[in-house]
Amino acid sequence: MITKRRMAALAAILVLMSGVVLGGHGLFIRAKAAVAQVLLERAWAQTVETRRPVKAWAWADTWPVARISFPRLDRSAVVLEEAGGEALAFGPAHVAASPLPGENGTSVIAGHRDTHFDFIKDLKPGDEIDVTTRAGKTIAFRMTGSAIVHAQASGIDASGASPRLALVTCYPFDALGRAPLRYVVFAEPIGDRSLVSSR
Amino acid sequence: MTSNLLVRGHPLGWSRVLLRRAGMAGAALLTAFLGSSALRADTTPTQQPAGYVEPSEMGTGSLLLKTVEPGHYLEAPRLKTDVSITVTGPIARARITQRFENPSDKWVEGVYVFPLPPNSGVDTLRMQIGDRFLEGDVKEREQARQIYEHAAAQGIKATLIEQQRPNMFTNSVANIGPHETVVVQIEYQEAVKLDGDKFSLRVPLVVGPRYTPPATVAVADVSTSGARVVAVSDPVPDRDSVTPPVLNPIFGKINPVSLSITLKSGVSLATIESPYHPVDVARTDDKTATVTLKGPVPADRDFVLNWKLAANAVPQATLFRETIAGQNYYLAMVVPRVGTTAPRRQAREAIFVIDNSGSMAGESIKQAKKALSLALQDLKAGDRFNVVRFDDTLTVLFNDAVPADAEHMAVAQRFVSSLEAAGGTEIYPALKAALKDTTPKDETRLRQVIFLTDGDVSNEDQVLAEIGTSLGRSRLFTVGIGSAPNTFLMEHIATLGRGTFTHIGTVEEVDARMAELFNKLERPVMTDLHVTTNDAKLETWPNPIPDLYAGEPVVLTGATSERAGTLRLEGRMGGKPWSATLDLSTAVDGNGVAKLWARSKISAIEDTRYHGTNQGDVDAAVLKVALAHHLVSRLSSLVAVDVTPSRPAGENMSSEAMPTNLPAGWDFAKVFGEDPSNPMIKASLDQKLMDKLASSEKSAASKPNGGVGVELPQTDAGTNLQILLGLLLTLSGTAMLLMLRKRTVRS
Repeated sequence: MITKRRMAALAAILVLMSGVVLGGHGLFIRAKAAVAQVLLERAWAQTVETRRPVKAWAWADTWPVARISFPRLDRSAVVLEEAGGEALAFGPAHVAASPLPGENGTSVIAGHRDTHFDFIKDLKPGDEIDVTTRAGKTIAFRMTGSAIVHAQASGIDASGASPRLALVTCYPFDALGRAPLRYVVFAEPIGDRSLVSSR
Repeated sequence: MTSNLLVRGHPLGWSRVLLRRAGMAGAALLTAFLGSSALRADTTPTQQPAGYVEPSEMGTGSLLLKTVEPGHYLEAPRLKTDVSITVTGPIARARITQRFENPSDKWVEGVYVFPLPPNSGVDTLRMQIGDRFLEGDVKEREQARQIYEHAAAQGIKATLIEQQRPNMFTNSVANIGPHETVVVQIEYQEAVKLDGDKFSLRVPLVVGPRYTPPATVAVADVSTSGARVVAVSDPVPDRDSVTPPVLNPIFGKINPVSLSITLKSGVSLATIESPYHPVDVARTDDKTATVTLKGPVPADRDFVLNWKLAANAVPQATLFRETIAGQNYYLAMVVPRVGTTAPRRQAREAIFVIDNSGSMAGESIKQAKKALSLALQDLKAGDRFNVVRFDDTLTVLFNDAVPADAEHMAVAQRFVSSLEAAGGTEIYPALKAALKDTTPKDETRLRQVIFLTDGDVSNEDQVLAEIGTSLGRSRLFTVGIGSAPNTFLMEHIATLGRGTFTHIGTVEEVDARMAELFNKLERPVMTDLHVTTNDAKLETWPNPIPDLYAGEPVVLTGATSERAGTLRLEGRMGGKPWSATLDLSTAVDGNGVAKLWARSKISAIEDTRYHGTNQGDVDAAVLKVALAHHLVSRLSSLVAVDVTPSRPAGENMSSEAMPTNLPAGWDFAKVFGEDPSNPMIKASLDQKLMDKLASSEKSAASKPNGGVGVELPQTDAGTNLQILLGLLLTLSGTAMLLMLRKRTVRS
């Protein structure tokens, strides 16, 4: 009887512990994502200054390529190169198969729906999206529309004669677990006169 | 090309069919899968590239996939079709469920087409595209458009159906994924055709393009802004006898059709026959029967069901009732006993009005003159007549109607043959002159105004208002002349004028069409129908009740909160008084009665505009009825939006699992419940044809680049799931500990 109860107690403690670990891990990832951005802001400042890639921390396998900000929502993030699992943990990442932000063609930037890109769903057509390139140039884009696409068949054409943006996050926004669908926000430059130099 | 029929041959390897039809009993199908050798059938080459179709060609519900060539489509393989129809008296309510598959590896855009029977309308639409569910809802037109545009801008799947033409049904389906399944379910209501004593119902099943475009399909592309409407008028009037269907064996094998018709005649049934398909007929009682298709049926012909009512058993009246939200809707169908002899010919006062304006020049005026000349010859001794001609001037031949004697007839014939088409079209004074009745109390003669025109006028409302106020005892019959008469106006004049509309498209048709009209003009079975006793306070439509002609039953709908009471109809049959009394408590249950009543009411409200009701009031009243009864109308549209139930993302969708995930009230089981021992043939099309499919475009930034576009990374850090699961585990662990502790304390 005692052993049975003891085993039940042990099981209960195990469940409790695994819950704490799992929940804690989730919170840790979110914290890591937030802290990384603070470190990345510093690396970004140096990048713009030196005009060459600066790693945020010595062992990082990625480096900042742009800074993106959303004036209406008062949000901003440093965009990292190479959208693998590693880079995405620290910030939105530029998909390597597409041109860099500000270059001709559609630049694809992906971010986690539960961390850096949790506000993408709040963007509305017409919203301004500012991109600062490594060269220190700020280009104002405007959201033109959105689409829900399949990750393996996005239909996004990376080539093009003018710079465009495609911001990508998982869809549906509030669902749990991995999903095949992506929500894509498209943006186009506002016009020549808004091409302003930040320095 | 007497009995030989050909499908356009395809030079490529995929099998196209060569179909020949023996002109004798039934259809002998000779199908051949063709090898790589080029094949073009003996006759009728078509301009279209092989394998392509156009929406107006479809003989049954079809999902057409857009190709890179605008206007050309590929037909998506149809995997299963289920037809379920309930016939209540003269109303048929049909529910068609069809399952298609995108055979390609691309994301494509499609158009769903269904050739609706005339005078029917879709009121329910459900769609499943991959793992998304769309359900149509009737909303105020502008609101529906906004919902649609909002959804489209958000990238959510949506479709919109606006009333463009009454028998149009097409809607666009965007973003169909590779090998995704599309299920479409539509419900529509139609009137059963009654020809003499034979009721007839046709279900369009023919797979693949027909040889001649069906008359009833019109196309509106609702996916793009602004509707592009192409109405198709019937180029082959006797198509039933000349149009053998075409069967593609690829589709035929994977398109099992299940069909079931429940027949509730309300009256004893004499015979039920299906001339083209083997069926099982289960008689519930002498008034009800269920007809089902026997075994696997090739969808190579339209399904037709004919039935007759027991001759001696035909009662004067049959009543159907449908109760919705406490309101009782009634449908009364009264077949007047005509007796053994044809109805007696009645004396007439015929006023012929002929349009000789410039728009009638050429063929039209020839037809009109020929028709009028025939009409004059048809007058009998004892009839009276007059002739009015108009362009921007007006001539009334005689001061008042004159006897149809030899002298007057000769004058009239000379007058008609001298007419030439020129000048403007001032229809209003001519109508006014024709409706001027010098003997309004004369009951010995039927006063009939026969209007021959192309209806090319602009002051429609003034014309219709004049009919609304000064029709009196006259009846207006319109004869539309030429290839493109203003059918809307002419039908409307006829409805308001309590007469009929006849269309004459070519000179060859004049004799036949005019003979039909004369038969009606001379032999109205019943006139002056009206309700006298109405102690259950039924709101009845149509009001006034139109006159009846040979073979037609009285069809009257009514709504009331009562379930008992009497309704008495009176009229004049062959000039003698006639009456029928209906007992509401004898009504039997009937499907679709409420919708029929609502449609009837809407058209009546629309007409009140011509009796002086202002437009705002008419619109408000129409909208109210349309929304209450879920009908698409001038002021309400069917908008389908995504109603996909929330489901754990990433869960694998399989067709077996799909039915259980359907939104409540949906029933797609019949197109999924396949016999496992008979594995479904996987849908496939020729690769070269599939290469022609156009990929969906999402925006300027997403032009297809020959492939699937940039692959997107996984963008879920998984923290939501982890935190939620962690929280759950922590809570349950704590709860378990607490319970254990409680027990320990107790022991």
